[in-house]
Amino acid sequence: MTEIPVIYFLWASAALFATGFTIMILKRNAIFMLMGIELILNAANLNLIAFSRQDDGQQGLMMGIFVLVVGVCEMAIALSIILQVYRQFQHIEVGKFESRS
Amino acid sequence: MTPILIAFLALVILTCGSGLAMLFTRNILHAALAMFMCMLGLAGLYVVAYADVMAVSHLMIYVGGVLILILFGIMLTTQQSRENHGQNHLWVEQRSFFWSAVIGLSIFFALMYVFTRTQWELHLVGNDQSKLRDVGVALLTKYAFPFELVGIYLLIALVGATYIAKRND
Repeated sequence: MTEIPVIYFLWASAALFATGFTIMILKRNAIFMLMGIELILNAANLNLIAFSRQDDGQQGLMMGIFVLVVGVCEMAIALSIILQVYRQFQHIEVGKFESRS
Repeated sequence: MTPILIAFLALVILTCGSGLAMLFTRNILHAALAMFMCMLGLAGLYVVAYADVMAVSHLMIYVGGVLILILFGIMLTTQQSRENHGQNHLWVEQRSFFWSAVIGLSIFFALMYVFTRTQWELHLVGNDQSKLRDVGVALLTKYAFPFELVGIYLLIALVGATYIAKRND
């Protein structure tokens, strides 16, 4: 059985990480930024999975599963915060918030 | 070019292409669709990396859960009252494209440089069989404490999310 070298996975995850980071700093919509953060998280996860192939135990795989759960928690909390921000300011565009004294 | 390499290349093109589509589109709903394609490609990449358990759970959690959550978020926060100059409500404002692209590309090339220059000491030990049984046994023996901890964390996060999202007036 032929194998794909780990370095190919690393390149793919580097591309994904850079894309996610660019989305995060480019877009002004908070939900869009959150999607960029998800891409970053998944790029890191891809690295863990790719390296878990080199390991006798399942450390990389386990870490990947826990990262998945933590990512879901982050998503739920962040979306509810964004919802509450929308109720306060009537928009979710980062950089346009003004204090409502 | 072995078949598995061709499959890997197709999946990478799907994943990174839809990531770039997310980057270049300005419609947030199109971006959610592109994120769906990206997650499908990532699940395929996990299969190619011999992590079938991870692929299935990724598919279930991201495509089934997180994407629905994001779509609900988009629907609940569309700005109806915004002055629309011939654009729809899903249009997203952007910062300067040039500087973001410069920062993103420099991060990409820095990562490539680090990955290429590092001397990896790798030795393949895994076999081609499914790891489902190993993962299940490990979750209940060696990793039982982190597993319970993550369960409690998930519970706390979900309760907290519903509490924060509550309309308090």
